[in-house]
Amino acid sequence: MTDQPLAIEAHDLRRSFKGGVEAVRGVDLAIPRGEMFGFLGPNGAGKTTTVRMLCTLLPLTGGEARVAGVDVVRDPSEVRRRIGVALQEVGLDPVATGRELLELHCGLSRLPRPAARERTRELLELVGLTDAADRAIRTYSGGMKRRLDLASALVHSPEVLFLDEPTTGLDPASRITVWEEVRRINATGTTVFLTTQYLEEADQLCRRLAIIDEGRIVARGSPAELKQQLGSDVVHIDLGSADRAVTHTAVDGLPGVVRVTDSASGIAIAVSNGAAAVPAVVRAIGQAGVEVAAVSISRPTLDDVFLEATGRRLEGAGAPRAAA
Amino acid sequence: MSDVVLLAKRSVREIYRTPAATLPILFIPLFFLAVNIGQVAKTFPRSTPFLHGQPYVAFQLPVSMIFAVSTAQSGLALVTDIDIGYFDKLLTAPIRRTSIIFGRLAADLVRGLLASALVLLVGLAFGARVRSGPLGVLVLIALSALWGVAYAGIAQTVALRTKNVQTTNVSFIIFFPLLFLTPNFVPIEQLSGLVQTLARVNPVTYVIEGLRSLVLTGWDAGSLLACAITIVLTGLVLTATSLHAIRHFND
Repeated sequence: MTDQPLAIEAHDLRRSFKGGVEAVRGVDLAIPRGEMFGFLGPNGAGKTTTVRMLCTLLPLTGGEARVAGVDVVRDPSEVRRRIGVALQEVGLDPVATGRELLELHCGLSRLPRPAARERTRELLELVGLTDAADRAIRTYSGGMKRRLDLASALVHSPEVLFLDEPTTGLDPASRITVWEEVRRINATGTTVFLTTQYLEEADQLCRRLAIIDEGRIVARGSPAELKQQLGSDVVHIDLGSADRAVTHTAVDGLPGVVRVTDSASGIAIAVSNGAAAVPAVVRAIGQAGVEVAAVSISRPTLDDVFLEATGRRLEGAGAPRAAA
Repeated sequence: MSDVVLLAKRSVREIYRTPAATLPILFIPLFFLAVNIGQVAKTFPRSTPFLHGQPYVAFQLPVSMIFAVSTAQSGLALVTDIDIGYFDKLLTAPIRRTSIIFGRLAADLVRGLLASALVLLVGLAFGARVRSGPLGVLVLIALSALWGVAYAGIAQTVALRTKNVQTTNVSFIIFFPLLFLTPNFVPIEQLSGLVQTLARVNPVTYVIEGLRSLVLTGWDAGSLLACAITIVLTGLVLTATSLHAIRHFND
């Protein structure tokens, strides 16, 4: 371990549930301090289970983990003092007002009364709930509840903030508000561990990310690195009813071609430079006697990265690009 | 300790912000009190020896008081927090998990004092008198409320173990056999053989007899001591099970 311990460190993290379901099957993490780390995966991939283990809510069935330099199994109380948690299911007391809830959690974090009042005022301001502060939480909209939940995770200025799908179920405007909050929090030096099933969110917010599928990490790196691994551009060839196998063979091995995969409407060719590759590709296909319906070029997206890593597309990630 | 105070304040706030959740609980004991008095009062006139010159309502009053405080409310509040996800937030807060239980018990004490005082007032309005005087009234209310605190561990444990609102809600039924296998209608000597044996091993018997002694006969050290010991022991055992359940929550 270096003199600057990692914010989150996990080795071979495992969790199985009664009935033999293995939700997390050996996850390794090494997240430096100050990072905004994204944990991307479909529903049921093991994201929430991983977060719950790191937050001391769920015992590990295998492996080990340290958060803010503290072992989650040996000293869970110390871990709790150093982390903030906003879980996927917003957990708020509907009977309390926003102000009461934040003051209670400031108090539970050992802030004396006047400091608790002041911190609550700051946080209400930060998440834009000052006007609604003295209303019962049950009257809040979904977006307001999310923001209050986020504020409640920040009462003690945690070193590491866990956000489990912080924008699931939010309208686009509220989603952007939450993103701005999260960026601001991260800018103050707080490490953020964020799970999401939205590619755009991971792409927008996270410096580095890991893709988890069926309890295992299947890819990791910065969004740019991950896309780079697929080749820098993708040439989409719309083939209509033409033979894919023939086309496949025709373009495979051309200079600059990294990989050829079948797509919904034809084939997708990962190339190092799209504009340079198109003439040769079209010529090769023509020589093979195949008629091309349309050609388009796109940069690889995280969606493509996800497809490459897991063999399927993420639900709701947007329609697969059809060639234009 | 400060955690407990903060969590207790929250629990008490819940009581007065959601009266609809608390008030119906008082209906059953008051209904039983009225029905029992109406049906049995003629059978047991004031001249009945075990009534010590008081109307039958005085004999029944302590039963209604502990009926009013032996509830599943504390467990329901816990399981509601679990259900809406707020419990997870408390579990990730930098506090001892056991504070959550003690915070709830503090609210149970407040609720118990209010419910006991209210049932006592109704009993007084029906003609019961507390023979041990004003201090006796305070001790009566305090012991009844403390029994409520001691008993709260049952529903709390059910809540933490099952995490199920319905199961926790019906756990109050456990109190029916406990309440009826006691000298609740007549003194223990007048119960038939088997029931009398069961009543003698039922802790609720000693709570009822202690409270009843304050109402009917004045200061009776033996009954009060038995009552206090029963409350303390029940409280220790049941609270220990709640604390164990919350420490191993999610294991």
